[in-house]
Amino acid sequence: MRSLFSQVSAVTVMNIRSLPRRLWMSLAMVLASAVVVAILLAFLAMAKGFEATMSGAGSDAVALMMREGSQAELNSVISRDQVNLVEEAPGIARDAEGPLVSPELYVIVDGIKKSTGSKANIPLRGLDKRGMAMRGNMQLLEGRMFTPGTNEMIVGSGILREFDGFQLGNEIRFGKNMWTVVGVFSTGGNVFESELWADAKMIQSHYNRGSSYQTIRAQLENPGDLEPLTAYFDTESQLNLELKTEADYFAEQGKQLQYMAIFGRVISFIMALGALAGALNTMYTSVADRAKEIATLRTLGFSNFSAFCGTIAEALVLAIAGGLLGSLAAFLFFDGMNASTLGGSFTQVVFSFEMSPDLFVQGAVLALLIGFVSGFFPAWRAARMPVIVAFRNAA
Amino acid sequence: MNDLYLIYKNMTRKPLRLFLTCFAIFIAFLIFGAVTTLKSALDAGIDLAADNRLVVVNKINFTQPLPIAYAQKVAAVDGVENVTYANWFGGYYQEARNQIVAMAVEPESWLQVYEREILLPPEQRAAWLGNRQGVIVGESLAQRLGWKIGDRVPVSSSIFSHKDGGHTWDFVVEGIFTGSDPQHDTNSMYLHFKYFMETQSFGGEWIGWITLTTADAAQNQRIADAIDDGFANSQAETDTSTEEAFSKAFIEQIGNIGLIIFGVVFMAFFTILILVGNTMALAVRERTGEIAVLKTLGFPAPRIFKMVLTESLLIALIGGLAGLGAAWLIIEGAKGTMAQFLPNLMLDSGIALQALLFMLLLGLVTGLLPALNALRLNIVTAFNRG
Repeated sequence: MRSLFSQVSAVTVMNIRSLPRRLWMSLAMVLASAVVVAILLAFLAMAKGFEATMSGAGSDAVALMMREGSQAELNSVISRDQVNLVEEAPGIARDAEGPLVSPELYVIVDGIKKSTGSKANIPLRGLDKRGMAMRGNMQLLEGRMFTPGTNEMIVGSGILREFDGFQLGNEIRFGKNMWTVVGVFSTGGNVFESELWADAKMIQSHYNRGSSYQTIRAQLENPGDLEPLTAYFDTESQLNLELKTEADYFAEQGKQLQYMAIFGRVISFIMALGALAGALNTMYTSVADRAKEIATLRTLGFSNFSAFCGTIAEALVLAIAGGLLGSLAAFLFFDGMNASTLGGSFTQVVFSFEMSPDLFVQGAVLALLIGFVSGFFPAWRAARMPVIVAFRNAA
Repeated sequence: MNDLYLIYKNMTRKPLRLFLTCFAIFIAFLIFGAVTTLKSALDAGIDLAADNRLVVVNKINFTQPLPIAYAQKVAAVDGVENVTYANWFGGYYQEARNQIVAMAVEPESWLQVYEREILLPPEQRAAWLGNRQGVIVGESLAQRLGWKIGDRVPVSSSIFSHKDGGHTWDFVVEGIFTGSDPQHDTNSMYLHFKYFMETQSFGGEWIGWITLTTADAAQNQRIADAIDDGFANSQAETDTSTEEAFSKAFIEQIGNIGLIIFGVVFMAFFTILILVGNTMALAVRERTGEIAVLKTLGFPAPRIFKMVLTESLLIALIGGLAGLGAAWLIIEGAKGTMAQFLPNLMLDSGIALQALLFMLLLGLVTGLLPALNALRLNIVTAFNRG
């Protein structure tokens, strides 16, 4: 057993030390696995970042109400009467000032993207103190809250990252109205950071919304428990609203980028096949090149198994080197990269690519897989080729 | 001996290597074809825009409405030919997830402004104009939902409410239009603005946007400025741009994500080509001895050069064309299910030509260097080396 082990390690060391001699072929193998790993990680990091931005936004303790069939906040319309009815509903938390209900407006305005200098949709949300209190992790980074009844607004830090002209103190014109930025807020990296917030009443009057709203948020007495509300809605014929927890809503909104992630996986899988073919080719050529060497070893009394292991080890080392290279490249290029895209509500969602440790694990697994497969078959062939044939072919 | 036979023998001497090489090229071009098609589908709106069409939207953002009276004021601007307006209906059929691209339009002027894009038989056109409840439906949408002329169809709106309390309108399919170009989107439907206006519970006299044609594309900028200046400091300020600029701005909203993805995929595409090229070049280098033998036998150097080059070109073409073909099959297969999101999915001749160019490039680059080596090979050194 010990001799087998020392044989294997001897062959492995020999193979690996002779790698520089086959520089180009080794590099090709490294490159192949690096590219596949980098692609996979890029897509996963994108999906991860988007998911974190979406899922961080939704709270289980908040119910979100929209008009039936609207699907997104933008489309929905809710009347003041309906808001009043919801405020009477059971199952909603209350404090000294009454039920914790936040009727909100959602208007789209233009911002200029830093990256392209082009216009893009950003949401201007009208809400009040209650609404802000419902975003548990909302905190002001700079400046102060807007004063109700004025054209003041506070901007999310995601907007500051991706768009020009929203710095503290700036005056911004949307149509006929001038707005002043009086504060910058963070909501812990979630989608609300891609929004502008202002007084709901001001938005109603500036945008001809009368006394209507678009969505209602309500703090639930028991997180996740929509039962009392659903029952109440059934008895009130006026309340033809769709009811879900905020967490569910954002999970649905996040779906569309999940398709991107699936697309990414499919592409990297197909690419992996292509790279695998390249890697296999390289390993076959590399082994064929050394058929004589391997035959010599076996003539010297090294076992077939050690020859087999040596070749596999070589492929694994190259693939792992490629995997590391690919991960490093992906990390350098993509980790923390700011991106924004059109979200489910037709507005820009600002998010960052996020390269977490579990992604690296997936990349490493893929690299090992490539190394193993591309090493296995050539190694198998090398180990089984009769010594005589090897000598004759090489001659 | 025939050269082609020799090339064939050289190619197939290691069938496994040939297969692996072709397979890698196959994959590379499969992805190239599919992803480039996807990209061009996203950009199609830009390419198809007519250069004398302008779009007028609210300056705050294009989702903000404009007063309907603006359409007439725009028509009065000097140099404006036809004016039409529309509103986004936010349609869906039966279930909210079954979205329909539905717009409420002023029918006569709409058909005028889009006369080159929307092909509608005269009798269907007359029927639509004569029936307020009527709609015209694009061919691919009609196919997707199984609608035929004369059908009564309920379509709901995710935005507006019907006066009667619901969100659903009843329409009659009066016409099915086709596009003059296969890339034209026929995944939409149009309803009468008047009918929409009279039956909705709110929204009143507001429209989403105005589209107009100019008599002369050279006048676009002047006309756009005239319109925007005319509405400056009014109830709703406007932003007028060419249809092309408008579509482009819209697509840019999808953001750098698209750019990042295409960047990554193209990087991978070229890496695979480099890898494959490397193996192909190696395969020829391995045969130095044989090439020397051929030369000794009296094969003229240019003939050997041609043979080596033909071989690498053949391999690139076999793998590449198969990959492109597979991409085409996939796109054709996906067309139906993707029509809702990407109506212009089509692997057209431009993309195919581009792919072909890359194949030739791959074959030439990988073949040229070894072929040149073979050309210049000194027989004596070659044998010494072996």
